[in-house]
Amino acid sequence: MLYNLVLFVLLLTGASIFIGELSGGQERKVIVDLGLSAMLLFGVFIAIFVGVGLVYKEIERRTIYAVFSKPVGRGEFLVGKYLGLCLTLLVNVLVMAVGVSLALLYVSRGWDPLIPTIWPAVLLIYIELMLLTAIALLFSSFSSPALSALLTFMVFIIGHFSADLKSLAGSVGSTSARWLFTALYYVLPNLGNYSFITPAAHGRTPAPGFVFASGLYALVYIVVILAGATLVFNRRNFK
Amino acid sequence: MSNDRTKTIALALVVVLGLSVAVLLVRWTDALRPPPDPNAIDESLYLNGKTARRISLSFNGLVADWYWMRSLQYVGKKIINANENVAIDDLSKLNLKLLAPLLDTATTLDPEFLDPYEYAAIVLPAVDVQEAIRITQKGIDANPNAWRLYQHLGYIYWQQGNYRAASETYGRGAQIPGVPSWMEAMKAKMLADGGSRNTAREIYTRMFEQSADDQVKDMARRHVLLLDSLDQQDSIRKVLQAYRDRAGHCPTSWKELNLGEPLDPAGFPYVLRPGTCEVQLNPKTEVPAK
Repeated sequence: MLYNLVLFVLLLTGASIFIGELSGGQERKVIVDLGLSAMLLFGVFIAIFVGVGLVYKEIERRTIYAVFSKPVGRGEFLVGKYLGLCLTLLVNVLVMAVGVSLALLYVSRGWDPLIPTIWPAVLLIYIELMLLTAIALLFSSFSSPALSALLTFMVFIIGHFSADLKSLAGSVGSTSARWLFTALYYVLPNLGNYSFITPAAHGRTPAPGFVFASGLYALVYIVVILAGATLVFNRRNFK
Repeated sequence: MSNDRTKTIALALVVVLGLSVAVLLVRWTDALRPPPDPNAIDESLYLNGKTARRISLSFNGLVADWYWMRSLQYVGKKIINANENVAIDDLSKLNLKLLAPLLDTATTLDPEFLDPYEYAAIVLPAVDVQEAIRITQKGIDANPNAWRLYQHLGYIYWQQGNYRAASETYGRGAQIPGVPSWMEAMKAKMLADGGSRNTAREIYTRMFEQSADDQVKDMARRHVLLLDSLDQQDSIRKVLQAYRDRAGHCPTSWKELNLGEPLDPAGFPYVLRPGTCEVQLNPKTEVPAK
């Protein structure tokens, strides 16, 4: 599935060259929009569908007994699984970003000033995928793969509505509802921080301070989620 | 073994023949389908720009591209269905009811996307001038340093004969750092000489130079051809009038004037209407009639 998804994204990036021809002179913008959006969407699919199976498969195939017969803690096991998938995602994202850059080189018949501007957006996409992978791992530590996938996808959607949660909290009359929405705004991951595809297509790059703050927020959030997943996983009985 | 091979060949034949039959059936159903009614009422968009932006998550740029391409396809399809040669800035006959909402949605999804604003400024005035002004002004609000949007808004006001608003718009655009100096000149020209051919020529020449859109460039080029042709026709009429004053009648051919056939800016000879002292464009020329 992993290879198919990567292949599909590369095909889509290639197709964006032809789709761009329908855009009335906006080929480069369409390539960046389509290429980076495909990178995010299929990255999310990979993070969710591979992420939710990481622990479940080990339990189902009973290979987890062989792992835990060695001096490996449950937390180490989870972190190892997480870092493994993050590394896989990194390779995928790099392959896809190179594909988008090559498509830009092709349509511009040479160097394109958009090529360096897409990479900060690619970095933010990768950070978002790392966050989602951690969330998928958390759900999969106590739930079935199907339910974990559904819950992670819902977090992905709600995470992009963070700004709305905040404005909702400010506009509702009820105090309890205001508290609820404010709490949701702060507790759920703010994935809107990692949306920089559209500005990247206009040649804009995020400020280094913003990228650093977003990266730090993701790091803290990932540590919290992995700690929570380890807490749940430590209490799980495999018998 | 031989049985297996026969089965494989039979199945491959079914695939190939089946696909061939499917292609023929598609062509048949295409032929049976009634042609689209150019006067049919377009179905309204399901989503407005704000809703589309909200539900597009991180993909608002991509969805904006889709709405932009849909706008181009929408106009293109209408032109094909109309089956006549229409200028991009005179599409009022095509019932382009959905064009404004499509462009509005594209620009709400991606407010920095400048091409839909330009398209709205060029194409929409013939369909709904208030929407054209609103969308272009929306572009200026979202991109206050994009001087070309001021140029487009000034163009809409100029088309409406509102030279004061056009001058004011060019003036606002001229204040942006790095803007071409002719924007400031246009501000004064609009007030002093807004309705003249020279001003029109300046507008279309600048539009031709600045636009990246081939259709807009072609439209501007054809307008410049028309303006040059109108100047030429005025000069020819003066010559014809002088001949009539001298000879007491209008010439029946260019030979009577001892002149070669005068050519329009596209290189086609003008047509002399015998006995009327009137000149008109050659039907084959690409110079637009109006």
